[in-house]
Amino acid sequence: MDDVALAAAGDAEAFERLYRRHVAKVHALARWLVGGNDVDDAVQEVFIRVWQKLGTFAGQSAFGTWLHRVAVNALLRRRETAGKLRARLVEDEVALGAAMAPVRHPDLQMAIERAVDTLPAGAREVFVLHDMEGYKHDEIAALLGIDPGTSRSQLHRARMLLRRVLA
Amino acid sequence: MHSEWTDLLSEYLDDELDAVTRRRVEHHLAECQSCAAVLNDLRRIVAVAPGYQGSNPSTELWPGIAAGIEARRVVTLPRRTGARWRELIAAGLLMAAAGAGATWYWVRGTVPAAGPVAEPPVLTAATPAGLNSARYDAAVAELEETLAANRARLDTATVRVLEQSLRSIDQAIAEARAAIQRDTANAYLNGQIAVNMRKKLNVLRLATRAIASET
Repeated sequence: MDDVALAAAGDAEAFERLYRRHVAKVHALARWLVGGNDVDDAVQEVFIRVWQKLGTFAGQSAFGTWLHRVAVNALLRRRETAGKLRARLVEDEVALGAAMAPVRHPDLQMAIERAVDTLPAGAREVFVLHDMEGYKHDEIAALLGIDPGTSRSQLHRARMLLRRVLA
Repeated sequence: MHSEWTDLLSEYLDDELDAVTRRRVEHHLAECQSCAAVLNDLRRIVAVAPGYQGSNPSTELWPGIAAGIEARRVVTLPRRTGARWRELIAAGLLMAAAGAGATWYWVRGTVPAAGPVAEPPVLTAATPAGLNSARYDAAVAELEETLAANRARLDTATVRVLEQSLRSIDQAIAEARAAIQRDTANAYLNGQIAVNMRKKLNVLRLATRAIASET
């Protein structure tokens, strides 16, 4: 019996193992999609939500993929509930300035992850959802309450800003 | 680099352009090295992005999650008859005592002796990450008050074991808190404090719900 099945049957130790395996990525998602001082609380909320929904995991996708979908929904709902959605989509010139500053790092993977932190909120959210999590523009538009065309333009903007890590 | 062309490169990369525009972009890329270099950069970013590793939180979040899922388990327990409640309390006490003993053993490095356990000292160590100290204290105080006012509704054997187990849990929490003051970065001890705090809350909840079912 794997940890997913054990956890779904109520085994908290198996669930802790799943948590340890996935927390780094969920924490990054929370940092990118929620940010501020709410990140740790948001991660805890995500995993409690995942525990509650384990019984609905049908095994048709990888557990990690399913968990990330639950996480994205929970994080965006948390943010929306907090009334932050509109504010975060407003252009942030400070963030834009930081994103355009040159960054050099020998590890491209790590460099991009760090550079994502500095992207303006709108571009960051679309990049995370599209390029990191595999959502389509129509799905992103529905999740963020924006036009699919806006999603496309924000994605391109994010990618162009991230080119600096390749300099 | 020509922005009228580079603006199309993400959609080109994602295969979202119509056939005519796509052919025009490809024709330009064949002639413009700078735009081709931009496309190559974007391609590398898109290739690397899905493999992100993330980073672990700087504080231990599991105790709060464990408390959250345990609380939901207790809340969803069905109402039982008095006899069934006694079984549940007995099982809860057994688990609580086992957990408290494990902490005691870890802290002292020896198996706890049988017999009465001393009252824990008053400590000021911080509550572990994920547990709200004020809310926890208020919840425990409320449950203890309810239990004190209604303990006559439980049989004396249950009350005796209940009180002894709660003292053991308090002792385990106190010992772990004293130890963590000497080793503040010890995640195990931090987790054990949270686990035992949660167990105390659960035992008190079971006891008070048993009282309610006897009413």
